[in-house]
Amino acid sequence: MTATSLPWSTAWTIARRDLSARFKGLRLLLVCLFLGVGAIAAIGTLTGAIERELAGRGRAILGGDVEIAVWQRAASAEETAAYSALGTVSGGTRMQAMATAGELAAPVELKAVDANWPLVGRLRLADGREVGAPQPGTAWIAQGAADRLGLSPGSPVSVGGQPLTVAGIIAEEPDRLSEGFSLGPVVIVAAGFPQQAGLTVPGAMYRSKYRIALDPGKSPGAAVKQLEQRFPSAGLTFRTRDKASPGAERFVSRMGEFLVLVGLAALVIAGIGIGGGVSSYLEARRGSIATLKVLGATSGDIARIYLLQLLAAALAGSLAGLIAGVAITPLLGEALGTLLPVAPGFVLDWGALARATAYGLLVALVFAATPLVAAQAFPAMALMRARVTPLAGVWKRALLPVGLGLAAIIALALVTAAQVMVTLTFLGGAAAMLALLGLLGWAIRRGAARLPRPGAPLLRAALANLHRPGAQTGALVTALGFGLSAFVLLAAIQTSLEGNIERRVPNQAPDYFVLDVPRDRAEAFRVEVTRIAPKAQISLVPALRGAILAYGPPERMIRVADLKAIPDDAWPLRGERGLTYAETLPEGSSLTEGKWWAKDYAGPPLVSVDAELGQALGLKLGDTLTIGLLGVERTATIASFRQIDWDTMGFNYVLVFSPNTLADAPHNLAATIDLTPRPSAGEPAAAEATSPPPAPASGRGELLRALVRSFPSSSVIEVGGILRDGRALLSQMGAAILAAASVAVLAGLAVLLGAVAAARASRTYDNVILRVLGASRRQLLLLQLAEYGVLALLLALVALGLGSGLAWLVIVQLFEFDWLPHWPTVLTVLGAGLALVLGFALAGSLPLLRAKPAQALREL
Amino acid sequence: MTSPPPAIAARNLILTLGNGDSAVEILRGIDLAVPQGQTLALLGPSGSGKSSLMAVLSGLERATSGELEVAGADFAAMDEDALAQARRGRIGIVLQAFHLLPTMTALENVMTPLELAGIAEARARAAEELVAVGLGHRLDHYPAQLSGGEQQRVAIARALAARPALVFADEPTGNLDHATGEAIIDLLFARRADAGSTLVIITHDPALAARCQRVVTLADGRIASDNTA
Repeated sequence: MTATSLPWSTAWTIARRDLSARFKGLRLLLVCLFLGVGAIAAIGTLTGAIERELAGRGRAILGGDVEIAVWQRAASAEETAAYSALGTVSGGTRMQAMATAGELAAPVELKAVDANWPLVGRLRLADGREVGAPQPGTAWIAQGAADRLGLSPGSPVSVGGQPLTVAGIIAEEPDRLSEGFSLGPVVIVAAGFPQQAGLTVPGAMYRSKYRIALDPGKSPGAAVKQLEQRFPSAGLTFRTRDKASPGAERFVSRMGEFLVLVGLAALVIAGIGIGGGVSSYLEARRGSIATLKVLGATSGDIARIYLLQLLAAALAGSLAGLIAGVAITPLLGEALGTLLPVAPGFVLDWGALARATAYGLLVALVFAATPLVAAQAFPAMALMRARVTPLAGVWKRALLPVGLGLAAIIALALVTAAQVMVTLTFLGGAAAMLALLGLLGWAIRRGAARLPRPGAPLLRAALANLHRPGAQTGALVTALGFGLSAFVLLAAIQTSLEGNIERRVPNQAPDYFVLDVPRDRAEAFRVEVTRIAPKAQISLVPALRGAILAYGPPERMIRVADLKAIPDDAWPLRGERGLTYAETLPEGSSLTEGKWWAKDYAGPPLVSVDAELGQALGLKLGDTLTIGLLGVERTATIASFRQIDWDTMGFNYVLVFSPNTLADAPHNLAATIDLTPRPSAGEPAAAEATSPPPAPASGRGELLRALVRSFPSSSVIEVGGILRDGRALLSQMGAAILAAASVAVLAGLAVLLGAVAAARASRTYDNVILRVLGASRRQLLLLQLAEYGVLALLLALVALGLGSGLAWLVIVQLFEFDWLPHWPTVLTVLGAGLALVLGFALAGSLPLLRAKPAQALREL
Repeated sequence: MTSPPPAIAARNLILTLGNGDSAVEILRGIDLAVPQGQTLALLGPSGSGKSSLMAVLSGLERATSGELEVAGADFAAMDEDALAQARRGRIGIVLQAFHLLPTMTALENVMTPLELAGIAEARARAAEELVAVGLGHRLDHYPAQLSGGEQQRVAIARALAARPALVFADEPTGNLDHATGEAIIDLLFARRADAGSTLVIITHDPALAARCQRVVTLADGRIASDNTA
């Protein structure tokens, strides 16, 4: 039994006396906890800030408690009555439209709102006025539309051919974040306007939105459930105030999860640094510990004294981490402000900060317990004999604190994790990685001990250094393994993200999408476009919207409404999708199974399904699919499966029906216009050089104006702008992922340099003696180079495997991007990591090597 | 009237280090009784077991077998922590390489054993002790700021501050020049006399040994001679 008689206060007095005010010797512990706790605190605070904003302003962001959206129709009388029974309702429509002013034309997002809008908050205009819905015949317009069309308050403007007067420029739209990705600057008009302009004729692409401010005592979840049960096939999509922003939902589900993993990774890596730092610190304190024992301190007293020192350093590091974590959140909020609702200013989320501190202290306990237990067992006789036989069974005594710490970490992770399985898998993976590196360190020591002694003295010494008593091989292997893996991880993630941005945002895309081209005017549309741009390539397809309601074999179809959860990869089951019909197989698709129907096919309704969706739902040829289209159910038999090339930014429909299935439904056409058609695959490359240059800007303006004149109810989307926005969005997301992963790399770097410094310190004595014995500086440098070189090269291979494996998990499994690392860059970064390790190892020894042997001896 | 119990009573002390083939017998059956207040010099060549005997007698090392009572406590029955507790306030140790705590000032170094022993007014007593060894002006200096002689004075103050019943000194002048060494020994004997402690001193120096009341010579782990003046 351990005898303890020293009161904590006396232990603290001695601990404080022995502890340097600048935490000399414990700085690695400090830095590691600072990074780890800082990362977790920042992530927790940011998530807290978003949740708080959603909780506090969710109603304002959504513009009510519940939002119901439906495509291509207004709510039926029965639906309207049901909404009104729940509370105050504000309805309106959203669509793409063309706005013109004089000779200028611009695609805009038209938002029609009734007199109740906004149910929550007010619209703020650039002149400072706070207003609600505009008067009939007037519009509030976004700054982007004003710039594009040269408008100011009082200016006339026309949307869909219908005149309006600009009544004000929008400064802040209360429900902007809930509207999601927009395809043009917003123009807000009164509710009746789209109908007057003929923009809501049957088949037109528009969306009706209804927001409800619930009567007191009604919960949004219950309201949604009630409406879902009452209108199961109406194609309604719901959103509630706690999930007001689509960006926030994505963040909380994927980014939040990733960030928590990054935080935990930083802490695990930090833990290794903490273990190494504490070991080195206590090793350097051997003499003091033995002296204290000579003076009468028991092992329990030693444990108390050094536990208090470590606790003080851990608290200081954690506190600095907490401050940094809180301080950085407003910056993160600023950077993510356009994507996410983040509460402005400093946010003190005590729960998040307590969690971060608890994680930090528990990780410190787990990794510091073994060296601390070993230290309390240092015998007093260490003062009288140079080296005492290593103490056997120390790890057994460390089992209890380490086990308790680990149990507490797992419990904390499970209690606070949104995704328990992901967190558990991660913790298991981290433990496996630690065990693997531990095993590798052991194998290297054993291997080096058993290898025949090389004849070259330097190589012999380098090999001996790997396995001799007190060798730092184990610590170095773990630190180098994690540190270098972090480098590979970062490089692989970054290059994969760049690859995805390149691949996902196509360089070859049509110049314009045009929605709502009347189907009886398809030929007139071709003529008008060709008149202005004779070389333009035009593609017109029928455009409808509908929801998949049921699927499966005809006799036992599965109703989507009955599904408890949407199967993985079956995203088209959520809400309404674009639908089309075609006589021939669409461009960019290839049949994988089944046959395409004849051009004049008139038999039972048929459909061709995306092969991936077919696989996700377990569909087979001959199965049936029921869709809801403008309130009517239509069922078709699956005639074929297609592979869709999503990289071509054209019309890629998951469901393509035989014409006789849908042609009778009211609908319009959608068109793509490619002003600079590229040669097809069969043409020689030289044709590209002779292809016409892009249409000049003036030509584009003329085309826009002509389309607005001739097709006032159609709306044009400029693809260039969307590509820019898409690229910016992906880049922003990529930057966030990279910034987060960098925390892990920073922790890895600190651990790596700390381990090298500790190993170097333990080698100082040898170096001085070797110099006294006549070794040249070059020989000593070569000796270190050989030793670190062997380890670093071996671990570079391990890191390449581990780092790219983790990066693959993040990119492919978590974010569902493609795995596109640029290997030359990854290898270069790994090489840089190796160079850093070797450089740091050698650079630190230089002062010692430069000194004369006598001087070095004195400094020993 | 009965005579007081001896400060040290050792019977057949054996110390073996290492295991199996590498086992080395350092002490081979030491019998030694040291009365309270005696000054005793342990002489002998290098490797004779002097330092190991001192380590066992002061509780820094446990004997492999044998009986040992120190200041009335049964050291043979104690584990390392119990031995540490037994040293508090009862045993002072001065080592050849001083072994001051480098992160603490001279005053703090002397205060520490008093605090470990739970002695009240540790600061005042430590300061008083340092004044007594002539270091009243060096209280707040760190070991690295002190000369070798000054460091050993701090070590003596540290060993004697608690007025221990027993003081062990292992080659206390081994790291010092002759003149400084002389002064340190004078100081050690003077402070011991003030405290009334029993003193066991390990030395190679016959002149130093001659200042003690009793001289025990070790050879090959055994007592070769035991002379009382």
